[in-house]
Amino acid sequence: MDFLEISRYGFMIAFFLYCASFIFYVVAVTGKTWKNRDPEQHERKWGRISFVTSSLGLLSHLVYCAARWAYSGHIPVSNMYEFMTFLSMMVMIAFTVIFFIYRKILLGMFALPIAIIIMAYAAVFPREVQPLIPSLRSIWLYIHVTLAATSEAFFAVGFIAALIYLLRTIEFNSTDKSARRQKWWIEFTLFSIIIVVGFIVSVFAFRAAGYEAVYTQNKTTIDSQVQQDSTIDKQGVYHMPPIIAPYESKPVSVPAFLGMDRAWFEAPSWMSGASAARKLNTVIWALITGIVLYLILRLILRRPLGQVLAPAVRGIDPNDADEISYRAIAIGFPIFTLGALVFAMIWAQQAWGRFWGWDPKEVWALITWLYYSVYLHLRLSRGFQGRKASWLAVLGFLVVMFTLVGVNLIIAGLHSYAGTD
Amino acid sequence: MALIENTKCECGHQNRVGTVLCESCGKPLDNSGESQALLEMRYDGVARRSQRVNPNFIDRIWNFFSSVKVAVYLILFTLLGAMLGTIFEQESNFINFDPSTFYKNKYGQIGEIYYKLGLSHTYESWWFVLLLVMIGASLVICSLDRVLPLYKALSKQRIRKHLQFLTRQKVVYQGPIHEGEETDWVERAVKPLRRKRYRVHAEKDALLAEKQRFSRWGPYIIHIGLIVFLLAVLFRGLPGLHLDQHYWFPEGEKTKISGTNLYLENEKFTVEYYSQDEMSEDFRKTGKEVPKMFETKAILYECTANCDDPSKQPQLREVKRHAIQVNDPLSYKGLSAYQFDFDLTPKLRSVQPVLVNKVTGEQYGKFKLEMNNPQQEFKLGPYTLELKNKFLDFSLNEQGQPISKSKDPNAPAFLFLVKGPDIPEEGSQFIYFPKQIDKERFQQDAINEKLGGLQNKLQIDVLGMEDVDFIASSSYLNIRIDRAMPFVWLGLGIVMLGLIMSFYWQHRRIWLRIDDGILTLGAHTTKNWFGMRREVSSFLAAMGIEADEKSLENGGK
Repeated sequence: MDFLEISRYGFMIAFFLYCASFIFYVVAVTGKTWKNRDPEQHERKWGRISFVTSSLGLLSHLVYCAARWAYSGHIPVSNMYEFMTFLSMMVMIAFTVIFFIYRKILLGMFALPIAIIIMAYAAVFPREVQPLIPSLRSIWLYIHVTLAATSEAFFAVGFIAALIYLLRTIEFNSTDKSARRQKWWIEFTLFSIIIVVGFIVSVFAFRAAGYEAVYTQNKTTIDSQVQQDSTIDKQGVYHMPPIIAPYESKPVSVPAFLGMDRAWFEAPSWMSGASAARKLNTVIWALITGIVLYLILRLILRRPLGQVLAPAVRGIDPNDADEISYRAIAIGFPIFTLGALVFAMIWAQQAWGRFWGWDPKEVWALITWLYYSVYLHLRLSRGFQGRKASWLAVLGFLVVMFTLVGVNLIIAGLHSYAGTD
Repeated sequence: MALIENTKCECGHQNRVGTVLCESCGKPLDNSGESQALLEMRYDGVARRSQRVNPNFIDRIWNFFSSVKVAVYLILFTLLGAMLGTIFEQESNFINFDPSTFYKNKYGQIGEIYYKLGLSHTYESWWFVLLLVMIGASLVICSLDRVLPLYKALSKQRIRKHLQFLTRQKVVYQGPIHEGEETDWVERAVKPLRRKRYRVHAEKDALLAEKQRFSRWGPYIIHIGLIVFLLAVLFRGLPGLHLDQHYWFPEGEKTKISGTNLYLENEKFTVEYYSQDEMSEDFRKTGKEVPKMFETKAILYECTANCDDPSKQPQLREVKRHAIQVNDPLSYKGLSAYQFDFDLTPKLRSVQPVLVNKVTGEQYGKFKLEMNNPQQEFKLGPYTLELKNKFLDFSLNEQGQPISKSKDPNAPAFLFLVKGPDIPEEGSQFIYFPKQIDKERFQQDAINEKLGGLQNKLQIDVLGMEDVDFIASSSYLNIRIDRAMPFVWLGLGIVMLGLIMSFYWQHRRIWLRIDDGILTLGAHTTKNWFGMRREVSSFLAAMGIEADEKSLENGGK
């Protein structure tokens, strides 16, 4: 058994332990009201079980990381699979740190699903160990990426605590305008998380089924050397049934899926890039799967998800949740400045000769930093603690995730090494 | 006419307008003596400079920039502006291209609108730079407006504060003291507080304990660092401080770096790829080749004499030798050379042809024809070849005129004026393509027919491959001078120092006073109330008072 195999086992074991400990956390939090038990003793016992399980998961996650590092000779943060796996590990570490300070079992119930989703999302990307291209062969890869991931993990914990605060304070029975609006947005936040789950589920479902559809796209390009028009056929491979076909394309093989044997639409002309239509198609499938998942959940629970979760968070003092959120962000902010901006600048200066080049990833790191500095300034003013600050923390996590994932998938740029394909 | 506020506190201290808490005793000055709301403890309740009465013009500008609200808006606008710039590629990403057509061709109508709005160079546009300058102004003024009054307030704190100041803190405890302990209670409290590393100032029946006050200066240090950083970035672009050029360095040649008296030689350029056993099994299957290293073995020379005289060979002295790699630039006295790109296609350096008289078969020469710095005249037997023009990348434009598409010797051509026997007095023109493929592609003979018909009499020919000299590869280096960089790093260092000071430490204070056997305790921290409550609770426990952490939280809103 070589290191690569050990790392694969480490990944799988960590994933299943996280899933198990999530269930334990739910039992620990919600089981207090069950009959025939002393709530305090129940929480103590199940809290310990769940924390031990999640810590074992983290240990296995660390084994994955160390083994893959030993196998490849470089820290496993060099592509999207490795980075997202690393990020979920850092979320678990940040959760553990915050847990040791505040000892709130409830955090685990929300932190674990986030770590699990990020980990599952990582598995969507190609998993092979890639050799490092010259620009990545630097000590700064280790420092810059690990610190950036650490700070983003703390922002994630800040998001989790803010979500708890909101679930705790929103009056689900009230019908006044502000409460209705908040109920709608909290439901939308939960729905967005389910869309991400929908994306992961659809990718794995079609991958398991081995689905593949092929398109050719005629592209006329002018060859400058020969000064003649030549037509190149570009092939696009879909791993999900095409709803949107590439712009001006012909199907080569499109296996029928639920009687659907051709695309319904063609991508608009400005999406002429080969992968743009495929990505749009993937997004549509993610939305469909996510909506179906959401509707199933609603049918089973017969209530908005926020309302279902609200009783579970009743045990926490909202002021504590607010403070945990603030604290996590306050811990993360200097690390983010150092790791994602200062060290990134030093590395950029060394590798590219300029410390700042307005590359999309750089700009989005700056946007994240500006966003959280707004958050920190606003927190100083009265009336921004609590509800407003929590919404800012929730939105902030969206900005972080866009910087990490969205930029690579949509905008690309110099950091595109971490993208798909 | 503004109402003259009565700002005199009951303790007799005359406060400035805008003061929230009496500078001396801490009594809230919000008139509502009965209010139990939590105190506004920002800047310790002192009046800021921007809270002057009857502001004049300069005061108004000061007041505008000193507002945190304005600062937040400035940051938000900058944030949104920065987002706009990431929608499509920025012009600065490209070296040679035409932005007026690029965006339209690539993105259609939307692209054209994007370009017309100037968003293709968002970060250089006047409004974006103005936002940054305004943020800079806000950083300076916000800091000055607050830090001086805060410094004054913190350096002359009264130990015994007004009762309301204590009871309206966020962490409060009030309760009776066991009988007989009143006299030395305060004295006994000093020790456990010192153990928690507080600085304790005690009076007969009042006490102030304080720690980590320095963390209060963190935000202002962050702002100073940001100012240093912004100024360094602003002055970076000044002439003489900044140089940013890209050059091709053909292997084995010394190339002058313009604007300096330095020459750089690319001694050897190598590309190394990962071998099969360095790849993982999965990756080998993909069949991809991944480069491992690009390296230019470079030698840097300083010119010591004949530097500006083109007729003489400059005298060079070696000053630095370095293997330039990605992530490992050459650095010499502020100049850096970065590996940027490379070209492995061999290029002609020189040829050594002979001149052949087609009629007699006689050969004259060899003469050395260099691509980059060719000799202007060659004397070959009875003939003279005068170089009239050269086209390194020969092509014909729309008018049929010969042009050179680039400076690279992709399709070199030399136009000579030939003089000698059987040729008219004024000479006759003759074009020569050193590469056989170009001779055929551009039809050398047909051109010469038009030029003067020398192709039947004379011919320029390379006899063998040993007479052709190639440049094996070229390295594209980015040469930079950035005199402002030390200040950029200094600014960032100061920012980090301030961040660590203000986020990883908290300024904590505990006030207590004893009135008729009743202990009143108030505590304040800049962050982490959870830790503050825990500390107060453990202090009270050490004093024999049981107080649950949660019970210390002041319910007032």
